[in-house]
Amino acid sequence: MNEHESIVEMLALAAAGALDAAEQRRVDEHARECPACRRELEIWSVYSLGLGRLPQPAVPAQLMERTRARVWQERAAVADRRWNELMLTALALFAWTVGLTFWFLFRILTGGALVIMGANLVRLGTWSAVSTVLVWLTAAVAALALGKRRRELRRVS
Amino acid sequence: MILAAAMNPEALSGAEDAITRLRRGDPDALTAMISRYQHRLYRYLLRLVRQPATAEDLFQQTWLRVMERIGRYDARRDFEAWLFSVAHNLAIDFWRGKRGDSLDAADDSGELSRERLEAGDPDALEQLLDFERGAILAACIHDLPAIHREVLTLRFEEDMKLEEIAEVAGIPLSTVKSRLRRALERLRTVIAARFPGRRGV
Repeated sequence: MNEHESIVEMLALAAAGALDAAEQRRVDEHARECPACRRELEIWSVYSLGLGRLPQPAVPAQLMERTRARVWQERAAVADRRWNELMLTALALFAWTVGLTFWFLFRILTGGALVIMGANLVRLGTWSAVSTVLVWLTAAVAALALGKRRRELRRVS
Repeated sequence: MILAAAMNPEALSGAEDAITRLRRGDPDALTAMISRYQHRLYRYLLRLVRQPATAEDLFQQTWLRVMERIGRYDARRDFEAWLFSVAHNLAIDFWRGKRGDSLDAADDSGELSRERLEAGDPDALEQLLDFERGAILAACIHDLPAIHREVLTLRFEEDMKLEEIAEVAGIPLSTVKSRLRRALERLRTVIAARFPGRRGV
């Protein structure tokens, strides 16, 4: 590729202001001596000018308001989910603590034997199984109820 | 004028302040930032996806993503380039679920067009600019592949430097250069094909 051909490749970018200083100098020097490239450069300059003056699209009415509302709605939903998860964890921990405390108390009060329907409830395994089911059911119901209440309060406010 | 306002030093320092407040979840800061960038961001997305409803949805998603990630935004980076790159990535996600037009799959082969350019009329544009100018030019841009529409709007409407365009699109500087050249050449080919026989600058 000779100098003229390589300059031709750069003319569009020269008019777009997208060359570095050295390349731009090369193009300018060549265009001074070459009528064909000078003419091409002028044409590309018209393109650049036109591209910078395109009709501007109108922003839809209340785009900002709708965007802001969607952002806060989404953030509120995320905050709700996080709060529910937090509450679920806290309630589960609380229930486990209560369960273990009662286990110790029952062991002391019953002397280590509280048999119902053939199962010794004060045995750690049985107590844990029953507690686990009760704990998770209670925590899930409580978290859902609290989350629902929060959403209702937010709607009212 | 919008760009001038965005480049104003006072406006820039206002933007930094708004970013700081945005990190704290300040609703007024969000309003200020949306207001500052809404014209440019919406225009960019509309040029990219061409459908107003999709552009608006992506505009809203962009601000949702900004609010999600503003805590991780590196203040040393150019906020505008970061904002536009968020929008760019969402547009790519949008296209992943679609066939046809795509930022990734658009023709960027580089086999343009010396022949096609020479076969077309090099002077057609100036004639057009004499009467229907921008509207026709915009319509011709509309027919270009998405990657070419994107690079043209970022360079000529957003007045971004090539380095900024590279950051937005996540591509090397050399690719930005070649893509910009191909976009211009392709636009010229489209115009010449639409308006054959117009001459005279």
